[in-house]
Amino acid sequence: MRVSSRRLFSLLSVLIVLAMVLTACTTVAPAAPAAAPAAGGEAAASADSWWATAAEAAGCKDVTIKGISESTPPSNFSKDVLAPAFEAASGIKVELETTSWDQMYSKAINDMQANTGIYDFVYIEQDIIYSYLANKYLTNISQMLKDNPELASPDFDLAKFTSFIDNFKDANGDVFGVPMEAFIKVYLYRKDLFEDPAVQTAFKEKYGYDLAPATTHQQYQDIADFFTQWGKDNGEELFGSTVQGNTGHSSSFYEFVESIAPSFGVYNWGINQENWKADVANGGEMNSDKAKAALTFWVGLLNDAPPEATSSTWDEVAASFAAGRAAQGWVYGENAAWIATNPEKSKIVGKVGVALPPTAEGVMDDAKSGKGYIGYYDGGAYGLPVSSKNAKCTLLWLQYMGQESVQADWAVAGSRIVMNSTYDDPKVQEVDAKTDNYYTLMKEQGPLFRGAPPFPFHAAVRAVVEPFVWKALTGEMTPSDALDQAAAAANAELVNLGYGK
Amino acid sequence: MRSNRMGWGLLTPTLVVLAIFGFLPFFYVAYIGFFNWNAFSNQLGMQWAGVNNYRRLVFDPAFLDSMGRTILFAFLAVTTELALGFLLAQTLVKSFPGRAVFRTIYTLPLIMAPIAVGASWRLLTIPGFGPIPYFLDKWFGFDFNLGRYGTQAFITVLVMDIWHWTPFVTLTLLAGLTALPKEPNEQAMVDGANRWQVFRYLTIPMMMPVLLTTIFIRLMDALRIVDEVFMLTSGGPGTATQFIGIHIYRVVVPKTDYGYGSAMSLLVLYFTIVLCWLLFIAMTQVGKQKE
Repeated sequence: MRVSSRRLFSLLSVLIVLAMVLTACTTVAPAAPAAAPAAGGEAAASADSWWATAAEAAGCKDVTIKGISESTPPSNFSKDVLAPAFEAASGIKVELETTSWDQMYSKAINDMQANTGIYDFVYIEQDIIYSYLANKYLTNISQMLKDNPELASPDFDLAKFTSFIDNFKDANGDVFGVPMEAFIKVYLYRKDLFEDPAVQTAFKEKYGYDLAPATTHQQYQDIADFFTQWGKDNGEELFGSTVQGNTGHSSSFYEFVESIAPSFGVYNWGINQENWKADVANGGEMNSDKAKAALTFWVGLLNDAPPEATSSTWDEVAASFAAGRAAQGWVYGENAAWIATNPEKSKIVGKVGVALPPTAEGVMDDAKSGKGYIGYYDGGAYGLPVSSKNAKCTLLWLQYMGQESVQADWAVAGSRIVMNSTYDDPKVQEVDAKTDNYYTLMKEQGPLFRGAPPFPFHAAVRAVVEPFVWKALTGEMTPSDALDQAAAAANAELVNLGYGK
Repeated sequence: MRSNRMGWGLLTPTLVVLAIFGFLPFFYVAYIGFFNWNAFSNQLGMQWAGVNNYRRLVFDPAFLDSMGRTILFAFLAVTTELALGFLLAQTLVKSFPGRAVFRTIYTLPLIMAPIAVGASWRLLTIPGFGPIPYFLDKWFGFDFNLGRYGTQAFITVLVMDIWHWTPFVTLTLLAGLTALPKEPNEQAMVDGANRWQVFRYLTIPMMMPVLLTTIFIRLMDALRIVDEVFMLTSGGPGTATQFIGIHIYRVVVPKTDYGYGSAMSLLVLYFTIVLCWLLFIAMTQVGKQKE
């Protein structure tokens, strides 16, 4: 018996080692890009290109520059396609670390705060730029290009970017980040279900009006209820709506303050920017009736959402929708293209409809007049930290990514557009048709959406408010109590940070 | 004199390493704790705050809640692990067919990194996809959702910790049981003591030093738990599993409130030292009683 136990032990040991080796060997490699950047690739192909000459002159030949970004389709494109192309063209190696959103911020801020210079370029989401500028973390790219004309690429022109680049400018109009992604958080719906005659008939019988993409919150709720019941009745894993309701992650806070609350008419997180107060008594709107209605509506959607909703960040919402588990939802536009076109990752290719999200009365007028907005215009740029030890080499890399010629493939891979000319590219127009005109919607209706408010205290206030959003989602607090306490916590934190009294 | 110098000489490398990696960070954290320093403040850099950060802590419900939650978790985890570990050690000290195989498989969780443990449990329990919620719903109609129900999340974290660390307790106690002399037990049995009396009046007292050492190690570990829980629940839902380590992480990293976070870390360290000291007193008392 002792001998057989030993043998078994040896066998187990060998199996464990084998399993570990196999796991290591079968680590999923990033998917190959659909296509190499055409014009950018042409520039990259030539070893004696302008990039090689500039890199040589700047002493960057064989230098490795390191960056960090969130793991998203646009970032992965820059890592998997643009970085190798740039290395071939310039001889500068680019190591881009793509990681989770939390880790990306944590590592980048720690590096810039401590001035260690680990990262030569960092992803700057539109909402954090104001904190970075206030802390003087970033290099003035406009000024650096003026000071180093020999490093200014003839193919890089800041004027070609959409107005989204304004988010990365300081008060003097100088640029501190080269836009790499911009997209809107749209209303995605299952076109195949919405156009199914049996579904349409059943819906009309139940609610008395035609099934169509929701334009009001009541319609959205009706559709959510309907499809949840439809899924139950037909034995399908189908739910009425996605909810980005992770109860331990900031993503739920963002869905509420950037998508849901604005659609009810609560803008800028409900913080009064004149006195930096969030509560109604001081002119804020974080705990206003509109905000409470918005939170009640959103929390109520959990009844129509897949069970994973309370563990879902933006990535899981896109995955749930792509798996065909939800009939509609607010989904980040950077995922629209792959959900609608990539059969390896999505079960609903060709079945995706795109529309503007539902809004409360008066919100659309607010958005058109510029007083408010109907949802979130997200995006980011790559910036050059002051602490970088390879600033000149990194400047070349940032310009390489900012060439007009690389934009179309990037837009197709990541549903992001940062230059006006990209909309007219045949490749983009081809994908536009397959994504129910997502790109056209972004071009034409983009101004109705808006990025995060210019709060230098962004992350600190988010950190004190989000636990109340989580508690409302779990039912530990009513939406009303949660927002009353959130507003009080935001006020206290703002005073703590030196804003208001 | 020469041997003294020799001793200090041999100790020097260790002391240098300790000074660099232990004392320097400690004093730096203590120093930062006296300042307001937040990257998102409108006053850049460090602002002198005196003991204000410590004063804030006493009235901070989020800190007090997470501290209370951590103590509850540590108490439940350690007592359960101790009870189960003792039971298993008592079983494994005897010879039975398949003992070696069971011991090998049983101790496998010990070699797993905490982050891997958290990831494995997340895959098992993730709502909508994990097998545990699926089968609980299918067989019992039970809605198991870690993202929604705080009590479920707390209990799951507790079970995960027990699963991970009971083997350690078992192995430690098994080593202690194996080393115990057999004569006192045999004499007691000859004198008519039953198995419970032998266990209560001989085994437990003789095992007390090993038990206390095990409690000491596990308690310290349980009080500073972060990675497994962060991977499984991120501290949620809400703040249901936001133990003190995760709370400090949230204050220091995403919120970048370095001064307050440092003060918090120091207070937790102080609390841990007090607990260690109490355990040390208890161990010393046991030693004296034995004499």
